[in-house]
Amino acid sequence: MSEQPQPMLLSGNEAVALGAWQAGCSLAAAYPGTPSSEILPALIRWAERHGGDIYCEWSVNEKVALEVASGASIAGARTLAAMKHVGLNVAADPFFTLAYTGVEGGLLVISADDPGLHSSQNEQDNRIYARHAGIPMLEPADSQEACDFARLAFELSERFDVPVLLRLTTRVSHSRTPVVAGLERAEREVTGATPNPQKYVMVPAHAKTRHEVLQRSLARVARWGDEAPVNRVDDGVGDVAFIASGLAYCLLREVLPEAPVLKLGMTYPLPGSLIGGFVERFARVVVVEELEPFLFEQIRALGHAVDRLPAELQLGELTPDRLVHGLRQIGIEPTGLSPAPDEALGPPAGLPARPPVLCPGCAHRAVFAVLRKLKVFVTGDIGCYTLATLEPLAALHTCLDMGAGISQAHGISRATGGKQKAVAVIGDSTFTHMGMPALLNAIYNGGDFVTLILDNRSTAMTGGQDHPGTGTTLRGESSRALDFARLAEAMGAEMVMQVPVSDPKAIEAGLRQALNHRGPAVVIASGLCPLRYRVRTTPYAIDREKCTLCRRCLALGCPALGLSVDSGLKWPVIDAALCNGCGLCAQECLLGAISLADANGGDAV
Amino acid sequence: MANVLFAGVGGQGVVTASDLLAHAALRAGWNVKKAETHGMAQRGGSVVTHVRVSPDQPVHSPLIPHGCADYLIALELLEGVRTLWMLAPGGQVIADARRIPPITVTSGAATYPDGLEDQLRSRGRVLPATEEATRMGDARAANALLLGALGRDLGLPEDAWQSAFAAVLNPKALDLNWRTFLKGASGR
Repeated sequence: MSEQPQPMLLSGNEAVALGAWQAGCSLAAAYPGTPSSEILPALIRWAERHGGDIYCEWSVNEKVALEVASGASIAGARTLAAMKHVGLNVAADPFFTLAYTGVEGGLLVISADDPGLHSSQNEQDNRIYARHAGIPMLEPADSQEACDFARLAFELSERFDVPVLLRLTTRVSHSRTPVVAGLERAEREVTGATPNPQKYVMVPAHAKTRHEVLQRSLARVARWGDEAPVNRVDDGVGDVAFIASGLAYCLLREVLPEAPVLKLGMTYPLPGSLIGGFVERFARVVVVEELEPFLFEQIRALGHAVDRLPAELQLGELTPDRLVHGLRQIGIEPTGLSPAPDEALGPPAGLPARPPVLCPGCAHRAVFAVLRKLKVFVTGDIGCYTLATLEPLAALHTCLDMGAGISQAHGISRATGGKQKAVAVIGDSTFTHMGMPALLNAIYNGGDFVTLILDNRSTAMTGGQDHPGTGTTLRGESSRALDFARLAEAMGAEMVMQVPVSDPKAIEAGLRQALNHRGPAVVIASGLCPLRYRVRTTPYAIDREKCTLCRRCLALGCPALGLSVDSGLKWPVIDAALCNGCGLCAQECLLGAISLADANGGDAV
Repeated sequence: MANVLFAGVGGQGVVTASDLLAHAALRAGWNVKKAETHGMAQRGGSVVTHVRVSPDQPVHSPLIPHGCADYLIALELLEGVRTLWMLAPGGQVIADARRIPPITVTSGAATYPDGLEDQLRSRGRVLPATEEATRMGDARAANALLLGALGRDLGLPEDAWQSAFAAVLNPKALDLNWRTFLKGASGR
């Protein structure tokens, strides 16, 4: 008798990686994006600890990642591509047609959605992609299922010759729950690609046939789902029953522990016979789901008069309180919580807000202080620098999607006949992701604006991952670092200049010059991300003898700068524990009141 | 079932502190789920994590329902008061007497409120954790002191905590954090 393995406390992302590792996945590609970023690093750790040959890469974007994975699949490898929900928009092109081609080695597409927008620009429900593309979808509810379903997804993918979508959400990816799993890996031989044009060359004649094959496969998958344990019925008491999946299932179990529930692990295609048999047993069946009425509409379309939670609940994250509130509105009293949650409760009014801020010593701060001063319209992008939209910097005016800022600046310039010249700011990683075609387009089409690449050598917001500009790969191997200046020149930019973020005067002079230039100009502002590279030098301090309380330093929005009341006056002070010694405030001070703490013996606290 | 809410400022170690509790519960053979927030919110913003543990009942939801927290571990006073409404009737606050003014205060747009400590004390304990940890060697061990105070109430065995500390923390920080935990657990 083998010993039962000890439970491990894993995040959903670590658990998915474990399941993929167990299944013998040998290639994984991703672009980092909260809440999906930890999946590939976790996969590497499982392989380091327990063996296995797995190639993992940060691809430049999600489309590329999925295409790399598709090549691996054609070669016979079990493979995955991981991304956040909006990443699947980028990867949608290969995603849809991969449903037609199918796979050799199992192909797993992981989408980590973000209901409630904890760290995203929207809260789209990617379950709809599964139905739109015709790709079977598994939805784990906790880390144990994340591990088990990842393993299962590879088997399904190969058995039914179709990629499988594993749909996570923030609360699954970033919750830690116990996982019991063996640490054995099924290593598989990768035989290599052999020509099969009817399957892999998607010209119209082939694709038409493959679309029919897909429809037949989906019918077989649905029948499989009628019997498979991935979907199950929790028997209960009462004649009101529920259908739920993912996190919504966990919340439902919490607030109505006795209720009968059809728990769907596979939410596309739906197991029609299982659902029909379940629904007819009860007087009333309510579908409980987060975000869009995805299950509700499909089950209605099957001809079952099921109910749903009030429509207002499809905005935002489903929480135990909102579920209780919604159930009460449709006449169902929750029994499981003690004390019953009070839906009227909420944070008290009047407390000062604590919004996220750029870190002390952030390489972007000086740039935005200059942009604020220049009073230009700034088209932004996705990254830490969106925080510069907040007071006191308040110098970023759009944020739409990866790479959009450059094209928006081009659009503004063209629409105003060149009268308004915007500055497009974009991070180094975002530039490699989607900024490159945008810049090429703008240059080709005679754009007249400034592109400002904020090069902090890091995909900072998601945890400091590498990208083509850092010269290091995910596996820590040294690679060629992309030269942004030479690239911009090769694309045809007439004015290209580099400025150090440590010198605000140089940034200002460079930007003024670029704004005066007619035609596309590219300014590269370089400085390391202090969080990723642990940049920290001697802190600064303020000399009260010289300070006139003008508060110019405070307008930089640095978390290390604060106010301290002394003798009835509010003095700016620098918290030496937070200050990382970038010296930007010292350059901003017109009176020389700020200098290195050990130099003036000032009042660092 | 014990619902433990952690509140603090991004960078203060909210996630690590809640990890320690979750791992201790796992090692004691308890049921446990934990929810945390990453990404944008971590850049010096308000951070909250939820840990739900039980020696016998199943834990389904990783999130603590409104007004159902049995303990609020506040690493900072303002964040403690901001999340005080999550506390159940009879729930306990264990807070560090630490003030970190948010950017809205340091920029002069708002003032850091008075009386936060009293508000928290009326629902539990406010301990000089950062001060004590600094005295013992490193301010960053402050959270271990709060966990020590929690551990005494929660009934998790000491060896489960010890094993969790060893599993989660950097070996270099282990000794000081464990001593700080024991200090918190001693109630002195």
